[in-house]
Amino acid sequence: MRCAEPATYTLVAAAYGEMQDDASTIDLDYTVGQNGADAAFYIARPGQKALTARDDGTFLALFDKDIAIELQKLRRDLYFVHAAVLTRGEAVMLVAKPGGGKSTLTWALLHHGFGFLSDELAPVDLDTLEVHPYPRTLALKREPPGSYPLPRRTVVTSRTLHVRSVPGSVVKGPTPLGALVFLNYDPDATGPKIRPLTAAEAGARLYANALNPLAHAGNGLDGAVRITAAHPCYELVSADLSATCALLARTLEPSE
Amino acid sequence: MSENHPKRRFDISARVVADETVVLDLGAAQIHQLNATASFIWNRCDGHCTVGEIAEKLAESFDVDYETARQAVRTTLHRFDELGLLDSARQ
Repeated sequence: MRCAEPATYTLVAAAYGEMQDDASTIDLDYTVGQNGADAAFYIARPGQKALTARDDGTFLALFDKDIAIELQKLRRDLYFVHAAVLTRGEAVMLVAKPGGGKSTLTWALLHHGFGFLSDELAPVDLDTLEVHPYPRTLALKREPPGSYPLPRRTVVTSRTLHVRSVPGSVVKGPTPLGALVFLNYDPDATGPKIRPLTAAEAGARLYANALNPLAHAGNGLDGAVRITAAHPCYELVSADLSATCALLARTLEPSE
Repeated sequence: MSENHPKRRFDISARVVADETVVLDLGAAQIHQLNATASFIWNRCDGHCTVGEIAEKLAESFDVDYETARQAVRTTLHRFDELGLLDSARQ
């Protein structure tokens, strides 16, 4: 990625700094920046029409979308799921609809001994059932509850809050999947609830959140079922954040 | 629902997982989870078995009386039909 001016560089570093690497080969070649005249942001790739955004939040959202699509093209072998992934020995995939509280719960769980693998994208190797990291900075849409305050270095854009330093470890290698959690936020719930899901129910839910199922055998159904049949799956109705974290941590404790 | 020979749509994908079934209807952009009973019925919607035959097999396998099984089959087939999962030309 090339970025000539400091404002855009700071923004990109805030969101993707964890991915910085001295790779000798280039898979994706981006040039980003701000036009002088109208201060609009642009995202350019060789042979592609440049994308433009009127503000910083839209710029990062466009970049997120573009890179997610390009990664799916580069790694068609991986089964991409729209999910956050934490680690607790093994990887725990948190699947939710957009706005379902996935990032907020991720942020909270990082205070409870979980490590960070991804906030947005879970690329699964269907042969090994490992999840690859996608350590884009945790991006929240709103301030979390007071018991989980954001650090001072949080970068605020028109759409998102990017947390540059997380309390848990950032995992940078493929991690064996250990469990899947399908998150539902219920504003009327008096407390969090968790229940096991059958592999079939979880498979149907996972498929609905898969990003590139048609790139895989059986239109992606085989992949979804392979993932859910091999791991414990749960539905978690979240409520109070601390209680939700405690319930999930207890559920994922290895049984004796 | 016809009393004839219910048949699954040929363009629908299904996978059995631990007695349940995940059914993918790409044309309708829908995915369904069938419980064990619905899976049993789904697997016999082959265009050959009649509703009565499916009910007989269900009664035998799930240890319920024939009338209960027949009602379950009819209700389930009605739901499959509502979801557009059956080949309407063969019902």
